[in-house]
Amino acid sequence: MTEFLQALILGLLIGGVYALLASGLTLIFGVMNVINIAHGAFLILAAFVTWSIWRATGLDPLAAIVLLTPLMFAFGWLLYKITVGPIRTAPPAASVLLTFGLALFLEGVMGVIWGNTSHSVRPAYSTDSFRIGELFLPKAQVYGGLVAIVVLATLYLVLMRSWLGRAIRASAVNPQGAELVGVNVASVAALTFAVGVGSAGAGGAIASVLYPFLPGSHYQWIARLLGIIVLGGMGSLPGAVIGALCLGVAELMTVTYIGPEWATGVPYVFVFIVLLVRPQGILGTRLRQDVATA
Amino acid sequence: MSDAGATVVDDGTLKGGSTPPARAPRTGLRSPWTAVVAAAVLLLALFPVLSDDLYYQNMFILSMVFAIGAVGLNVITGYAGYVSLGQGAFIGLGAYTVGLCVNKIGGSPWVWVPVAGVVAGGIAALLGVVAMRARGHAFVILTIAFLFLTQLLATNWDSLTNGTGGITLPIPTWSVDYQYWPFYYTLMGLLAASLLMSWWIRRNKFGMGLIAIREDEDKAATVGVSTPTYKILAFSASAVFVGMAGGIYGYYIAFIDPLGMFNILLSVQIILSLLLGGRATLWGPVLGAFIIEWLNETSNNEFSGGNARLLIFGGLLVLVVLFMPRGIIPTANHWIERWRARGQAGLAGERLTGIDLRERAAPPPAPAPDASAPAVLEVKALDKRFGGVRAVDGASFAVPEGSITALIGPNGSGKTTVFNLIGGTMSPDGGEVWFDGQRIGGKPPWRRAHLGLGRTFQITRLFPEMTVLENVVAPLGEFHLGLLGANAVSGHEADRAEELLEFVGMKKYRDVRAAALSYGQQKLVELAQILMLDPKLILLDEPAGGINPTLIERIGEMIRELNSRGKTFLIVEHNMPFVLGLCNPILVLARGQTIACGGPEEIQRDPRVLDAYLGEDFRLEQPVGA
Repeated sequence: MTEFLQALILGLLIGGVYALLASGLTLIFGVMNVINIAHGAFLILAAFVTWSIWRATGLDPLAAIVLLTPLMFAFGWLLYKITVGPIRTAPPAASVLLTFGLALFLEGVMGVIWGNTSHSVRPAYSTDSFRIGELFLPKAQVYGGLVAIVVLATLYLVLMRSWLGRAIRASAVNPQGAELVGVNVASVAALTFAVGVGSAGAGGAIASVLYPFLPGSHYQWIARLLGIIVLGGMGSLPGAVIGALCLGVAELMTVTYIGPEWATGVPYVFVFIVLLVRPQGILGTRLRQDVATA
Repeated sequence: MSDAGATVVDDGTLKGGSTPPARAPRTGLRSPWTAVVAAAVLLLALFPVLSDDLYYQNMFILSMVFAIGAVGLNVITGYAGYVSLGQGAFIGLGAYTVGLCVNKIGGSPWVWVPVAGVVAGGIAALLGVVAMRARGHAFVILTIAFLFLTQLLATNWDSLTNGTGGITLPIPTWSVDYQYWPFYYTLMGLLAASLLMSWWIRRNKFGMGLIAIREDEDKAATVGVSTPTYKILAFSASAVFVGMAGGIYGYYIAFIDPLGMFNILLSVQIILSLLLGGRATLWGPVLGAFIIEWLNETSNNEFSGGNARLLIFGGLLVLVVLFMPRGIIPTANHWIERWRARGQAGLAGERLTGIDLRERAAPPPAPAPDASAPAVLEVKALDKRFGGVRAVDGASFAVPEGSITALIGPNGSGKTTVFNLIGGTMSPDGGEVWFDGQRIGGKPPWRRAHLGLGRTFQITRLFPEMTVLENVVAPLGEFHLGLLGANAVSGHEADRAEELLEFVGMKKYRDVRAAALSYGQQKLVELAQILMLDPKLILLDEPAGGINPTLIERIGEMIRELNSRGKTFLIVEHNMPFVLGLCNPILVLARGQTIACGGPEEIQRDPRVLDAYLGEDFRLEQPVGA
């Protein structure tokens, strides 16, 4: 029972971090119909930058979010302007291939700068745990999960309360309609991409404390995040949160009861099951296009 | 069934089946390439004999493995438009099949190579079943998940695969004098076989259906293309040869492990080859594979691989998507075509002959339908809601066999929605649709097309990148595998398509891309396209909308002509003179319900109809604008 409870709580905490990362991915998909395969590479890049800052200054990786988010936001905006933007009206396959290319390129860049060895950020508290009854909860996971929830809540506030948020949501639901009421969908798309990459920055900084990483880790991360948004329903923010919590718990349960070597397989199984049983995911409607209006 | 279609146009003025129709000279650019391709093939075939340079022999062997992968990928990605990022997994699956069979059962690796093909094709088909209901994006994600899942299984299933320890294969037993020849020539044979398959698919009805899916999947379904079956077959076909090549590749490098065999870079190399060379072309994937493998070797030698390879592949992928999305061969063809076409005028539109509006008497109004004619289509209490809007609210009507029935109604009365429900592109929330004595409510669109239901769309939906002839050949009137393999470029199906094009007066345009046609021309081609299905009932959504009066009259004539040959029509139209002169009975739809049904005279006087169009308190008390 203790074992189960421990896996459940840790799963939910890590699920919070996944939720933050998957939100950015699903947001980009919702507004632009682009599957950003480079999302994993963005978060690993953020993790490396966090590592460098931490090594140079000793700045706490969770505090580094304040730097990483705007930095990655700017990077995302710039990258959008140079690469994704020009093919905004091209068939969807083009953007998948493009972001896949970006992911490979970034992997190469990170390999050149930081080397292809495993890195991890280890602040002082990384070896401590909270002890509640019989539960051992590593401090890094607890802090990481809580910070992710705070950042995610901020993202939600921005989306629900600000003009930009309304413009983003309007562009996602009906781009032509949004254009008609004065939303510049092209620049909203750029900002959305930047917000998505910014959230990957925050998530990457948190992830750097939780998991060791190397440039090639981005494949595992993108697989995980894709599994989440397929489960939750592509383009749905609440779906991403639900999917992320499910995946977090399912991974921890797999680690506890089946074996850690199988944990990476959980998102792939998610993808297979969802596409067989409910292609639109839990809350999504977009995947099922075969009954769309003629 | 198909013969009946030919009789539609089988009168004295039109070409019968006996005389082969004259063909316009092809605008293809085969000739300059033929010599280049022949020389390249010859060089490749003779290379090991002429030179004993093992470095290049090795490079060509690897190039051919990726070329086979890219030619296969072309079937699903180039033709059908579904991007697979996990195609490299089939190399791994093939290699593991051969490795495991040799180690667990024994025998020569060569014996197991065909088995590797079967395994890869079979697994691809299963994956296709999973992806059957998914569209583009979900398919991409599925292929990524599939690649990583196979890698995970190969890593963790120790008892079968020996995990990360990998499997070794026996060293070749032939004399060292023969170097890698057996690998080299077997791969060359496989490459030839996969090219032959690609060439054949591009020319048959199956290939036309795949391209139709790429261009407009929903529309493809309405012209009888059973999209799930097509996609599953295509994905399976894309994997068979690369599975076999993977088996040979495993034997060639003699060591099989999860990291090497399921490396995502294998997939990258395959997809990059296809993109760079040119999607949906025959030779593009091969050209791309040789260039990419050369780059790969160069990056290994000059920059010791690793990160350099990632930078080159990743950067190239980005550059190709941004600056040469069509690939080398289509881009080159495009330039050559422009250079050749300089100074020539385009194919101009042609006056439709034989119609002079001033001198012609109005055609007789359609006769009242035979009262005893059975209903070919019957709609009972049909419902469709969009959120709170009841677009169709208990509509019931019947279309008598042999009639030209009109469905009219004010804007927003639910006419197109009714069409979508009948055609199967939407599913109703309630009610029944009966066609030719069968309840078809739950059937997918292609099944309805096979039963004899053809429809056009309000805004024409041709497959833009296909030629006019290909557009007309693509529909599938009934499903059987023999017909999928039927030649679509020449032979019976193409002749039928040409006859239909002649009937609608568009034969001159047979090799023009559909996207280049005017709106009216597209309407004509779309009509020919659904006639290819040899439908019993033809649903036309605004056939007279947005085209000039001469063409409207011509379309009216064609409808009468087809009707006299036994086709039943259901027409949605706003052009009242057109409807009143052509159709009987006329059904009136308002607020999602059928409010009236009768002949033209009756309908024009029906107070409910006037009310629905004009509103009950409509009084023209003073001239508008006064």
